[in-house]
Amino acid sequence: MDDLMKTLRVSAAGMKAQGTRLRVISENIANADSLPTEPGRLPYRRKVVHFKDVLDRSIGLDTVRVKGISPDRSDFQKRFDPAHPAADADGYVLAPNVNPLIEMMDMREAERSYEANLNMIRASKAMLQSTIDVLR
Amino acid sequence: MDFSKVTLFEAAKKKLQWLTQRQEVLAQNIANADTPGYRAHDLKGYEFRELVRREKMQINMAVTDSNQLPGARRRIRDFADEKTRIPFETAPAGNNVVLEEQMAKVNESGIKHRLTTELYKKHLGMFKMALGRNQ
Repeated sequence: MDDLMKTLRVSAAGMKAQGTRLRVISENIANADSLPTEPGRLPYRRKVVHFKDVLDRSIGLDTVRVKGISPDRSDFQKRFDPAHPAADADGYVLAPNVNPLIEMMDMREAERSYEANLNMIRASKAMLQSTIDVLR
Repeated sequence: MDFSKVTLFEAAKKKLQWLTQRQEVLAQNIANADTPGYRAHDLKGYEFRELVRREKMQINMAVTDSNQLPGARRRIRDFADEKTRIPFETAPAGNNVVLEEQMAKVNESGIKHRLTTELYKKHLGMFKMALGRNQ
């Protein structure tokens, strides 16, 4: 395979990984208010994505892949809402450990990395084009 | 006529090979910009020495017995890879890829690639001119 084509493959893998990350972030944000329905039950637990560099043997280059999506082990938040069906004896409800600020920052980072990969594809494409233009 | 015997064509070819290989390395860096523990790579700078280096100097491992491993097959021209020794910044997760730096390098490669192909085209145009054909 042509070297510049390999570059496209690597960048595409990066975009795919960042896309998965963005999907998980949107799941977290969408479930930021998913509270339990009964006392003693647990609310939504935040998820985090892990990346890993893997050697793609068909092109001989390090591409990136999602290693796994695992739950965030940090403590749940507590909200004071005695009227809620899931409130405990003191009137507190367990709320998801999702911090919208962190999710937003994570989202921006994923977006930026995605863009960087996209620009890489653009640059490689321009280089391929200029090579082809030699034929003209 | 063998075009590869003309120095400028040969030089342009090598430079293009270097640039495409560098592009590969940069793509790896950018794809792994968020991978914990990943260290950024780059190619050793393209020098005049590369021009006078001959392909024959590349030594691949020989296999004399079926029980031996052949080793990784290398492409005809592989330029030396180097890890960034003094990174601009390293994330707490051990990743030292700085996207801005990588993008600057990508653009630099793009510009150099453009220059090389333009020079190639110009030189080709001069040949055509010498041949006396209307373009």
